[in-house]
Amino acid sequence: MRVVVAEDSVLFREGLVRVLRDGGFDVAAQVGDASALHRAVIATKPDVAVVDVRMPPTQTDEGTRAAMEISERHPEVALLLLSQVVEAKHALELFSQRPEGFGYLLKDRVLEIDDFLDAVRRVGRGGTAIDPEVIAQLFGRRRADDPLAELTPREREVLSLMAEGLSNRGICDKLVVSPKTIETHVNGIFTKLGLTPAADDHRRVLAVLAFLRS
Amino acid sequence: MRALRLAILAGGIALGVEAYRVQIDNLGPHTTPERSWAIVIGAWLFLVAGLVAWSRRPTNRLGPLMAAAGVALLLRQLRYSHDSFLFSVFFVVGELSYWTVAQAVFAYPSGRTTDRAERALIKVGYAVTFVFTVAILVFYDGSKPLRFFDPTRRDSLINIAGHGDVAVTLQKAFVISVWGVLAAAAIVLLIRKLVRATPRARRMLAPLLIAAITVALRAVFESVFTFVQQPSNTILFDYLFWWQIGAFIALPLALLAGLLRARLARASVGDLVLELEGTPPQGIGPALARALGDRTLEVLYWLPERSRYVDTSGRAVELPKYADRAVTRLQHEGQPLAALVHDPSLLEEPKLVEAAGAAARLALENARLQAETRAQLEEVRDSRVRIVNAADEERRRIERDIHDGAQQRLVALALQLRTAQRRLRDDSDPEVDSLLAAAVGELQVAVEELRELARGVHPAILTEDGLAAALESLVSRSPFPIELDADEGRLPAPVEATAYFVACEALANVVKHSGATNAKISAQRQNGLLVVTVEDDGVGGAQTNNGSGLRGLVDRVEALGGRLRVESPTGGGTRVVGEIPCAS
Repeated sequence: MRVVVAEDSVLFREGLVRVLRDGGFDVAAQVGDASALHRAVIATKPDVAVVDVRMPPTQTDEGTRAAMEISERHPEVALLLLSQVVEAKHALELFSQRPEGFGYLLKDRVLEIDDFLDAVRRVGRGGTAIDPEVIAQLFGRRRADDPLAELTPREREVLSLMAEGLSNRGICDKLVVSPKTIETHVNGIFTKLGLTPAADDHRRVLAVLAFLRS
Repeated sequence: MRALRLAILAGGIALGVEAYRVQIDNLGPHTTPERSWAIVIGAWLFLVAGLVAWSRRPTNRLGPLMAAAGVALLLRQLRYSHDSFLFSVFFVVGELSYWTVAQAVFAYPSGRTTDRAERALIKVGYAVTFVFTVAILVFYDGSKPLRFFDPTRRDSLINIAGHGDVAVTLQKAFVISVWGVLAAAAIVLLIRKLVRATPRARRMLAPLLIAAITVALRAVFESVFTFVQQPSNTILFDYLFWWQIGAFIALPLALLAGLLRARLARASVGDLVLELEGTPPQGIGPALARALGDRTLEVLYWLPERSRYVDTSGRAVELPKYADRAVTRLQHEGQPLAALVHDPSLLEEPKLVEAAGAAARLALENARLQAETRAQLEEVRDSRVRIVNAADEERRRIERDIHDGAQQRLVALALQLRTAQRRLRDDSDPEVDSLLAAAVGELQVAVEELRELARGVHPAILTEDGLAAALESLVSRSPFPIELDADEGRLPAPVEATAYFVACEALANVVKHSGATNAKISAQRQNGLLVVTVEDDGVGGAQTNNGSGLRGLVDRVEALGGRLRVESPTGGGTRVVGEIPCAS
């Protein structure tokens, strides 16, 4: 899988590139600002662009804006945004513009290298990777009379992982339980929340996010 | 002095009656009771007006001068007597009375004639009149009747040369020179005086001077009749007589009017005290202007700190140095307080200006203090806002520095360690692996703590997306459900930040101290205010003065001109309400 990395902090960028190369990715370009990113995308036609949200000159949301531009001009390029802080509001806004091949993670998620590499692959294949922090925030804003209250703690855990973008298989690995058990949990969640069960991973994520954002 | 004035008044009344009698007894058909009374009454008015002025302003020479003119005008009528002594004396003295009147007119209102031309005219007038009348008497032998007299014979005590034609010719020359030339010169000087006067002085002078001009004009006409034959038409002659009488009566009345005006002005100074009570600072100037009858009056306030005068709007002003404006400085306890810039004619009534200044002093002092305090308050308010803004700016900078500096580096460092750990995994001993894992774990905690710290300092979402988004983010991290009702739309950064920190601190108190299970945050715009409310159903009893973070927020909210209230009855939940003005 061909990857482009846009990150202004050289130290972190190099670490990131090393992790990706060690994980078997072809890092076609590494750049430090938005305009270089545009050129690199055009030149290398990557499968995934890993982009820092804050970049020079203003250090506010250059990365986000550059990513959204790429999303419009080159929809075939999957996007993984990395940020020092994540806000559910931003995540939902971005996700509603770009529901497929999209990820939004805290930078420190890179430290869990296997999970991170999984997320890059998932996004590259058109899946999603939403930061657990975002999911926690979405849970946090629930009203008191919430259907979520009916979920068991285990079911909540499974729901969070589903919302992050993990497949049943991924959830199995993560929670170290059998696929059969996960399937039971997933069905239980869908029934309690009144969602239509969906086989497709990313449609499933959409349904869960739609529920959480309502 | 009062006794003297009363004696003069009594003597004047008696003299008037005598003057009337002399006219009626001696002029025969050349006068009528009405005419004789009119002349006496005109003279009496001079006398009374003079005595009133004298008692009101004992130091002003104008009063005695007017009274003297009145007496002289009465004495003048004694010349019609057939008694040789009375005729001779008052033929000379009587004519001088007109110059006493002129002297009074030119001396109004100060009592002194300062203009050189005016003084010269009066001196020449007295001298010429005296010389001519004495000369006439030297030649008058009764053979030819004198002008203005009945034809009957009178005897001059100093008839030395005895030539009737010469006497008549001399009288003609006298009328032309005194009543014609000098009266015309008086008219010129009176008009000049009017033109030169400042607007306020002109208002005061006009009635008197116009009456005086009228008298002088009549005199000029009289001299014209010495060339053309005395009109046989007695109606025209009557007109001239009543013109003169009317103007003569108008003269003392104008003086009285001027006096009355000054009394009115003093009465209005009394009103000023009452009026100024409760007058806002900007109303003091107009009130003083009304009281002193000078519409051009301005009030300037002394600011000791800046050692200069400012006008009502606080603008620095230089005191005028030109002759067309006069300045009266008002002091309080030896310190300059204010200055009145006014018409120079007010300088003639320093007592009046002083009285007005004294009456207004308290109000002026208040106004000055108010102006000063307001200026200082404004400065303090501005500086509080600047401090809050500077603190916010600093917080934003720190937040950026944490994210882009320390946090960034720690993540990169952790990533290096993690990479090292993975590469060493297969061939290193398990202790190294677990050490590295622990180091990465510690760094992750540190990064997480830095993130929380930065959020507490100044959440990025507040700058980027505004208050509603920041509150939403705040609420979504709370340990229990919180109802949020926040208006979308951006407000000035200090307002948003203040409202956010109020909500943040209040919510922290809810979580830490209240034991509440439900809470609600709202942030809404109402009538130019942003009202942020945090309420819970907890134990209550919260205060702003017990060292809680709310104390600092009270200052912060007030710096922006707002208010922060805490309603927290024990056991009745807590309600924190911040109201922050937002210009929108």
